[in-house]
Amino acid sequence: MSILRTEQLTRNYGRRIGIQGVDLEIGAGEVFGFLGPNGAGKTTTIRLLMGFLQPDAGRASILGLDCWRQSALLKRDVGYLPGDLRLYPWLTARKALHVFGKVRGVDLTNAGRELAERFRLEFDVRVQKMSRGMRQKLGLILAMAHRPQLLVLDEPTSGLDPLMQEELARSVRELAAAGHTVFFSSHTLSEVENLCDRVAIVREGRIIADERLETLRGRARRSVQLVFADQQSADAIAWPSFLHVVERDGLRCRCELEGPTAPLVQWASGQLLADITISPPDLESVFHKYYQSLPETP
Amino acid sequence: MRGLWLKTWYEVWLMTLLFGCALLGFSALLTYVIPRMQEGMLEIIERMPFVKPFFTAMLGTELGDQINARMLQAFLWVHPTILALVWAHAIVFCTRLPAGEIDRGTIDVLLGLPVSRRAVYYGEVIAWLVAGLVILLLGFAGHCLTAGSTPAPMRPPLSREMLVLGNLYCVYLAVGGLAFFVSSLSDRRGRAMAVAFAIVLSSFLLNFVAQFWAPARKFACLGVMEYYRPAQILQSNVLPTADVAILLSVAAVAVVLGGEVAARRSICTV
Repeated sequence: MSILRTEQLTRNYGRRIGIQGVDLEIGAGEVFGFLGPNGAGKTTTIRLLMGFLQPDAGRASILGLDCWRQSALLKRDVGYLPGDLRLYPWLTARKALHVFGKVRGVDLTNAGRELAERFRLEFDVRVQKMSRGMRQKLGLILAMAHRPQLLVLDEPTSGLDPLMQEELARSVRELAAAGHTVFFSSHTLSEVENLCDRVAIVREGRIIADERLETLRGRARRSVQLVFADQQSADAIAWPSFLHVVERDGLRCRCELEGPTAPLVQWASGQLLADITISPPDLESVFHKYYQSLPETP
Repeated sequence: MRGLWLKTWYEVWLMTLLFGCALLGFSALLTYVIPRMQEGMLEIIERMPFVKPFFTAMLGTELGDQINARMLQAFLWVHPTILALVWAHAIVFCTRLPAGEIDRGTIDVLLGLPVSRRAVYYGEVIAWLVAGLVILLLGFAGHCLTAGSTPAPMRPPLSREMLVLGNLYCVYLAVGGLAFFVSSLSDRRGRAMAVAFAIVLSSFLLNFVAQFWAPARKFACLGVMEYYRPAQILQSNVLPTADVAILLSVAAVAVVLGGEVAARRSICTV
């Protein structure tokens, strides 16, 4: 069953393109990475999903409910952390859980306290005295305390230290394991690489890739560094088709491997090499390619 | 809805208390001072007859040849300080949503909750109605504090004063309703406040201009003071129902229109 679905979702800001014909479908228990550079349309998509913006064309639904017309109803089962989080300056975690709990009609105190302990957030500090990281933690707690079926996180790690980023990743994994769905927007690959099952890449308002992370990994090239034993063997080398030379510097040569590692190992065993280093698949290069080399949209 | 009111209460109690205390203080002071200025006022009007239209515009009634004691009491309810405080509270309160929430970026968190925009909006409207009542009652309490120092013949009956208070509340509602409507069209609170204030001030000035310049009289009906008649009420003990109905209609139409705009518009904080 799909938890979130968009069909040809389009929204422009006057002449400026917001998003164009975005199609997404996310199932239950999935952690979905939504990647793109700044200004690509990630936040616009999220604002359409949250019912803040009315689509110019197409439609979006969450849990079968229309994101614009039934926005209030669907948010019972949605937790949302805005990209540029602003909280009321008078709020403390305690007051926030009390007020938000009253609005949601559930007691969020215990769940909120547990999350506050996990994220190491003091309960009675006012927002106006909080650091950016603390505010972000409070935003996360408010988004997660009611254990929503869909958690929408717009660049959630900004302001968090590495330990808290890891804690967030753990929380997200736990939610997904319990069947909850997470929509994780980010502009950095490393954040979603270890967390998401599937990734969509958005560029200039259009989805240019929507694939499982494993598929992308399979497509990614490995970086291979060869060090030849002597100049003669370096000069006499016959390069196989799966290896592309990127850079040569004397006996040292940096290449990119296309495809699996077995043919490389077999080929290398017949060469006179002093050293060989094979790095893991470089997803970053795939994303850079998507970001940079796509032809301009008309 | 209770959660929304709780949030609004946390945000507005101090502001409302401050406005209420200011009204209490000023109305107490003016109630004490105004009876002691009667002779001075009559002298001013005698020496400078052009001042009379100003008073007429403010009091919403013709002064005639003499300012009597009752009419003098009406000056409390049209004093610029009192009116400025009442209007300022209405404008400051009613531009909090949606313009204020969008401006400070908190609307994302607010609308991330399972509440409709209409519920958020009308929750705020109800809180505003109560807050307006509170500040006006505090102002009236201030008046009562020093009313004992006023000579007995000058003291209007309580029932007439309550009618004036009711008329003033209707003015408050009309100004607030207008501010809600302007706020619902805006993303910036400062701009919404400036526009609402400019409209109210223009309508206030229109009343004065109409006293001196005949062509402006055609548009006097657009002035808010045209429908606020404390002197007439204090003299006749009759609520100007037509004026009150107009003020309430303006408030209701503006609030409902504002609510519809707020519910249907796209909200962009970036």
